[in-house]
Amino acid sequence: MFVRIARSRDGGAITHYDLYKIAPTKGMTVLDALFQIQDKMDPSLSFRYSCRGAVCGSCGMLINKEPRLACRTQLSEVQTQDMKLKPFASLTDRPTGWNPEKEILVEPLPNLPIEKDLIVDMSRFYDALEKLKLWVDPVEGDEPRTQSPDDRRKIERYVNCIMCAICYGSCPVNAEREEYVGPAALAKTWRFYEDSRTDDPERFVRAARSAEGAPLCDLIMNCVKACPKGVAPGGAIRKMKD
Amino acid sequence: MPLHEHDALVIGAGLSGLRTAIELADHLDVAVLTKVHPLRSHSVAAQGGINAAMSEDDSWKSHAFDTVKGSDYLADQDVVELLTREAPSAVIENEQWGTAFSRTEDGRIAQRPFGGAAFPRTCYAADKTGHNLLHTTFEQALRKGVRFYHEWFVTSLVRDKERICGLTALEIATGDIHGFVAKAVVLATGGFGRVYGHSTNAIINTGDGCALALRVGAPLKDMEFIQFHPTCLHGSAILITEGARGEGGYLVNAKGERFMSRYAPEKMELAPRDIVARAIQTEVKEGRGFDGGHVHLDLRHLGKERIMERLPGIREICIHFGGMDPIDDPIPIKPGQHYSMGGIHCDKHGVTPVAGLYAVGENACMSVHGANRLGGNSLLETLVFSKIVGQMAGEYAEKCPAPKGTCVEEETHRMRERLQALLLRETGESVSEIREEMGEIMDRLVGVYRVQDELESGLKRIRELKEKFGNIEVGDGDRRFNYALIRALELENMLDLAEVITMGALMRRESRGAHWRTDFPARDDDQFLKHSVFMLVDDWIKTEYIDVNLGEFEVKERTY
Repeated sequence: MFVRIARSRDGGAITHYDLYKIAPTKGMTVLDALFQIQDKMDPSLSFRYSCRGAVCGSCGMLINKEPRLACRTQLSEVQTQDMKLKPFASLTDRPTGWNPEKEILVEPLPNLPIEKDLIVDMSRFYDALEKLKLWVDPVEGDEPRTQSPDDRRKIERYVNCIMCAICYGSCPVNAEREEYVGPAALAKTWRFYEDSRTDDPERFVRAARSAEGAPLCDLIMNCVKACPKGVAPGGAIRKMKD
Repeated sequence: MPLHEHDALVIGAGLSGLRTAIELADHLDVAVLTKVHPLRSHSVAAQGGINAAMSEDDSWKSHAFDTVKGSDYLADQDVVELLTREAPSAVIENEQWGTAFSRTEDGRIAQRPFGGAAFPRTCYAADKTGHNLLHTTFEQALRKGVRFYHEWFVTSLVRDKERICGLTALEIATGDIHGFVAKAVVLATGGFGRVYGHSTNAIINTGDGCALALRVGAPLKDMEFIQFHPTCLHGSAILITEGARGEGGYLVNAKGERFMSRYAPEKMELAPRDIVARAIQTEVKEGRGFDGGHVHLDLRHLGKERIMERLPGIREICIHFGGMDPIDDPIPIKPGQHYSMGGIHCDKHGVTPVAGLYAVGENACMSVHGANRLGGNSLLETLVFSKIVGQMAGEYAEKCPAPKGTCVEEETHRMRERLQALLLRETGESVSEIREEMGEIMDRLVGVYRVQDELESGLKRIRELKEKFGNIEVGDGDRRFNYALIRALELENMLDLAEVITMGALMRRESRGAHWRTDFPARDDDQFLKHSVFMLVDDWIKTEYIDVNLGEFEVKERTY
């Protein structure tokens, strides 16, 4: 099995691709393959990782031109899957020499500046959380609030977001407009707006409707297709736009 | 490069680190150093829940008794009292911050049964409780404007004769070594599961805080007590929550028997983790396991709806990492390293013997879990004690003068030289090979069942690996994002801890909680109702035993 990996020692742009021959084992994930390369072949390869169980959101990257969590993507499945994303340049530009029949292509997550190899600068993505003030202003008192199971169910989808930025990397609008806060941040505003316990839900929708938020979304829905956790930010953004 | 100065520094940004920083942020200049972005911390992976006696029929005393009995009477009872008394307010605080707990029909926080507990007191958010608590607590840290140094790896702590003065840290993005001056330092770096090859822990759980503390003269405690979680997915060792048994899952051997009836006839699958892990190991050893050395966790009788509602994360894990769906098939599981009961020796306020140095969460040993932690008590530990430790560290930092920067500056130069020399070395031992060998040794020789000659051979081999480590080659000389270097430094930390764990296991000639010696299968309260304490003196580890703080719960035989 061959893996072709985008390299960028100094960041900025992909400078070249390195091809590695790995020894696949049953159930091996793309993250396992990256560790095999780093451990046994090329210690200079840089990528982020932590939980290896699809809960921490560290290892979002572009795998065969689709944004995925490396830890949750089995090598054996990569070639047969198709998210059917609406294309934009990062998803369609093919590096010369890539043979999709024989090689798995691994590149950094699109739409964020490359820092080194598969590591991107996530500042813009994280900054949106503070810009939109995506937190609760705590209530006073000694008692927990009540919430019906149905009301809890309304936010279930959105609280499952792991902030991996795969939606951000899949979005054609984020590809063009640096200022767009992106699908994850907007899904989180909807999580607070829809939470029956929130005191001032309107504050969240007002924030989402600011110029850098929901108005920029073109309802392309790549985020819904790419999200590894079924959060479906696009659905929430559609409601905010109404 | 100028030194950074803060009143207090917190190392680690999981639940413990974040909650400590929130406590400190109101009064002091606090900063958090973390080797990964806070949301990537291992707290995010906690599944089943957080214990609190919330209902009128339950009580903190019942929770405390279960915790002490679960600990095989090694927990300090004053610490357990604090944990269980404060439990409801920790849960309520996080609810008020917005955590989306699962709910009962009448809208209260839902609670499920958990191992070793007399009452269903484990509050949960589906099977993603850690995820929900961590994201919520991080939101509150943002609200408070806590200062973060993301992706900074702490390379050493700095002290003078009297007290802590600060630390040195590697900025991963640039490779620069920085010095930090601070009055108080709080270690909250989590567990050291990756010392073992087969662990549920994140790859980042390398015990950095414990190793840093040991090297600066703070003792470690009870390091031989390693929790092996009974139900880890066969292969990747990803955790399958105890909540799966709490919801009614069965453990079944290859003969189709619910074998727990032989080991804990009353509690069955909900016996504490040490007992269930040993039961599985015994079934496999005696030939009643499946090929590959595992047994089954069967959820099929719970039905699709209940699995989808209460255990959606477990289903996802099984589908993506196990290639099976628990609605249709039983889950292949076996025990794996899960939690470190031991850690930095400190009291219930996180105070260590080094003035200004505090510890909290899994890297601390207060000790609240003794020889075996109950499920649902670790998330609780983080939230209850980080608030208290934040207050204590804050009071200390408010009244003491800032340390001089001289010793920090000297240590920064020394560390810079050391790492430069390491990066320049062009040939040497392979870091990954040493790491793999360490994991294999610890799995095989310092695992669920332990015995003198295996422990001795393990200790010898770990010491050989430490020698080898002295001649490693990082393999990459680039300064920026040099993860080969990070993994080498993490390995250095883990090797130090592997040695201490094995020494502790060797010296404790009894079986208690998670520490089981086949050559000493009985608990020996006369000799070992004691905490083991390990201290680095010059180049060797000095070990001693100190008393357990007993209390109203009388030390008894432990059966379920």
